[in-house]
Amino acid sequence: MSTLTGATESAGEAVPLADDVLQPRPRRRRAGGEGAAGRRFMVGGLLLLVCWAMLSPVLWTAMVVTKPTSIAFINPPQFTYHPSLDAFVNLWQTTDFYSYLSNTVVVAVVSTLFALLLGVPAAYALSRFPSWISVVLLVAALVFRALPRFAVVLPMYDISRSLGIYDTKIAVVAALVAINQPFSIWLLRNFFAEIPQQLDEAAMLDGCSRVQVLWRVMVPLMGPGILTAGIFMFLFAFQEYLTALILTDVHSPTVPVFIATQLGQTLPLLQQAGAASMLLTLPVIAFAFIAQRYLVAGLSAGSVKG
Amino acid sequence: MSLSRSRVSALAAVAASLTLVATGCGAGSKTSADTAASVECDYKAPSGKTDVNVLAYNSSSVDPYTNTMVKSCTKGDVTVNHQPIDFAGQVQKTTATLAGDTGTYDIIETYSFVIPQLAAEGKLEPLDDLVDEYGDEYGLDAINKNMSGAMTYDGKLYGLPMQAQMLIMAYRKDIFDKLGLKPPTTFAEMIDDAKKIQAAGEVKYPIALPLLASADIVTAYDAALGSLGQNLTDPKTMTANLDSPQSKQALEALLSLKPYMDPQVTTFDQPAVQQQMYNGSAAISIMFSGRMNDLTLPANSQYADKMAFAAPPSVNGGDVLYDTVSVDGWSIPANAKNDKDMLFEMLSSSVSEKASKASLPAAYPARDGMVTDDSMPFAAAANESIAKVPPSEPYPWTAEISNAITPIVANVVLGKTSVQDGMGKMQSEANKILTEYK
Amino acid sequence: MRRREFAVLAGPSILVMVGLLVLPLVRTIEWSFQKVDYGSPGSFVGLDNYQEAFSDPRFGKAVIFTVILTLIVTAVLLVAGYVLAVLVNGLHRAKPYVLGLLLVPYVIPQIVGATMFSWLFNPNYGGVLSYLIEKLTGAHILWMSETWPNRVVVSLDVIWAMLPFAMLIIVAGLQGVSDEMIEAARIDGASTLRLHLSVIVPSIRGVLGFVALISIMDVVRTFDALVPLSPQAVQIGNESIMLYIYNVAFQNGGQNLGLGSAIDVLLILLIVVLLLPFIRGVAKETRAG
Repeated sequence: MSTLTGATESAGEAVPLADDVLQPRPRRRRAGGEGAAGRRFMVGGLLLLVCWAMLSPVLWTAMVVTKPTSIAFINPPQFTYHPSLDAFVNLWQTTDFYSYLSNTVVVAVVSTLFALLLGVPAAYALSRFPSWISVVLLVAALVFRALPRFAVVLPMYDISRSLGIYDTKIAVVAALVAINQPFSIWLLRNFFAEIPQQLDEAAMLDGCSRVQVLWRVMVPLMGPGILTAGIFMFLFAFQEYLTALILTDVHSPTVPVFIATQLGQTLPLLQQAGAASMLLTLPVIAFAFIAQRYLVAGLSAGSVKG
Repeated sequence: MSLSRSRVSALAAVAASLTLVATGCGAGSKTSADTAASVECDYKAPSGKTDVNVLAYNSSSVDPYTNTMVKSCTKGDVTVNHQPIDFAGQVQKTTATLAGDTGTYDIIETYSFVIPQLAAEGKLEPLDDLVDEYGDEYGLDAINKNMSGAMTYDGKLYGLPMQAQMLIMAYRKDIFDKLGLKPPTTFAEMIDDAKKIQAAGEVKYPIALPLLASADIVTAYDAALGSLGQNLTDPKTMTANLDSPQSKQALEALLSLKPYMDPQVTTFDQPAVQQQMYNGSAAISIMFSGRMNDLTLPANSQYADKMAFAAPPSVNGGDVLYDTVSVDGWSIPANAKNDKDMLFEMLSSSVSEKASKASLPAAYPARDGMVTDDSMPFAAAANESIAKVPPSEPYPWTAEISNAITPIVANVVLGKTSVQDGMGKMQSEANKILTEYK
Repeated sequence: MRRREFAVLAGPSILVMVGLLVLPLVRTIEWSFQKVDYGSPGSFVGLDNYQEAFSDPRFGKAVIFTVILTLIVTAVLLVAGYVLAVLVNGLHRAKPYVLGLLLVPYVIPQIVGATMFSWLFNPNYGGVLSYLIEKLTGAHILWMSETWPNRVVVSLDVIWAMLPFAMLIIVAGLQGVSDEMIEAARIDGASTLRLHLSVIVPSIRGVLGFVALISIMDVVRTFDALVPLSPQAVQIGNESIMLYIYNVAFQNGGQNLGLGSAIDVLLILLIVVLLLPFIRGVAKETRAG
């Protein structure tokens, strides 16, 4: 049941399936009184500090973009100022930010759906078909996850031009599906491995075909796994810069591409790029808060345990 | 909590947060900047929906022309598309779109420096016949002949000039007045001024030049070489002059400025130098004129009202300045799919008299008689700069050689290569390229 | 499962992999033996591109820079990720909020995050952190233009972007460590350090391996972070292999697609070598399962 190193002397008890994991475990309070309280205080303080450090680039950017333009980047930096939202207003009025954002979301959602649509059955097949071909596929999926973008995307640039789909969302989606799909197989395979084969056999005795077993029996059981893989696929696609940079010109740039092309600008455009970063960041922060519990649950239930 | 219910509500929340952002402030409306003029753009529209894609980097001097074109020529079924992009992005997209039989862009922003190479490779459409046909309608005869000349290669016009950009020195008048300094006319004077500014404790690193190691630094070297009376190459003998005494002087001149420039100056492109001036962390800067108007806008800087302008100094005295003139214009790629007449009318309308006027004072329009002291705070500096510029080198190999020697110049300025070694390497790189053109 | 069923289920996925990954890869390999410009057919030049790559000192420097960055970042991610995960895992009600906050750097696109990062260190753009460091220590450090300070900034940025992922995976792994085992070790009188090193760490070995795997994959391909953070990467030896490819095949009108492709191929080989232990693990395990 281990994924990688073949470590076998693992956790002792079988790892519970997702439904159990989502339940808060009853925790025993360790004895210790005063000392424990002090330690908890220290741990809390330390974590607060870490959180602050991890968020500081975002917080500083939030300050930069709400400053008046003339002091946005002065040195030494100014810490007090009258906040204004002008950079956001200008961004919205003078650029097509709305369409960049919708391009980004559409590309991310569609490519995630396709990656899962391809990845789920493939992962299921891999988990039930012990043969050399499964080994080859899995190793290939691993290597494909690690390919340098240029090796794939520059030829895609050429190919998409000759197919006439260059500079469309279709080209970006196709590229992202190709790039992300191998990893979804990789994440999902272990969830399937967790589900006992007897279940398949029982369902097939009832007259289900393999495809029916997958959709009627496996997928409902795989909720947390598919959700986990989906969240990762979405994040990868949402963040992708090089692929969208190389495969788009005027019709479907994504927000990361837009922001990157604004980095070589002067004020006030540079401040607008900062505003764009914040507008892009806020929804994904909400996403992070919601996603974290599913990720922990999903990941511990299947994909990567030792 | 059951898994399925919480999952659904979570997804709903994510979806809601995304749509909130997408629609929260109403649909994004694209309004062109204030500088865009509304002008006549009377092309014969083709039947059916047509996209015209324009590639032009954003800067306050190019934007007026681009915005005018987008605003005036988008009508009916014809849409003129322009996406924001920085200069490095434009360079990269230009290469990509001109390669092969088809490209994305129908109209591209070009400049005199790259015209010879692109024209020699046959990547641009010659415009002479179109000028003959539409010249009267758009008053193209008022476009400065020298500037048209700069966009001409082998007797044919490949770019319709919109504006000229020349190097200009911007300096902090308040500091200069306080210390009784005069705008420097040579590098030695500039260093003197910088020393005094440093000594007075006004600014730690008074001089700011864009010396970005991967790009701008070669422009600086070229400007210094030109001011010393030397060209990069000699087209008659087809040899490079990069190991000449003047080349040595040019490199040493750049090195001599280093103590007075920010130690990270080789990471600065023009926007970064603008930022230094905005921040008050430099007192003297030399950049292309298209960057100057930004410095005078109070919205950008607290020091906006303290900026003054002069022609750049010469390196060693004499009448030729540390300078270069770049003519910006519009070109039509040879592989553009749309009707060339329509495209030409679009770019003509964007350089028409009304449109050119709207670009003032940010740009120095290509039309004669537009620039006056009233219309532009740095008009005198600009005119002097144009008058004393080193001769241009409109050869197809100029851009290629510049790219090839950029890292070597950077290493010399960074002190990683000695001047002598650097010159040897530059010379051999350049001669290698020249042999391909013999 | 029968062969036919396998084909039906895995077929579409394999088809996409072949069509959209293998074919482009083949094109890249083809280009690596050619002198080629965008949009025009290339001409065969044998091993010239590979020879050029190996004789260019920039390539060697890029490989060394990339590999060392990868090793350092991976080591930091494992240690810091583990410590952070243990701390977070010990929380009760605050846990989801802390996790959510800590995940923020991971969900921001790298190029955007690196830009935010650059505004902390670049004095020309505010540079609040470089300013504070100078105030506190008196040292004027050239974060953007000197080799080692810039390496510190780049490493910090990459760690900042990836630490949340490492922590998340390890937190997930810790859910599988049974309380009984920990209790037993405590009864045996194990110190906290021993408890972690000889009980918990070994039992989540696979998880740590996964973190190392992903970290190696991603850091070897560092590109986005360098664009805003190292404007003169070439001159100060902080050019990653990916940035080197970009510079020769794309930047400044550069068109050397053949050389770029040859380096792509070499980079893939390097990645496969680095991943070899993991590949062998996967192969062994799949055959067993």
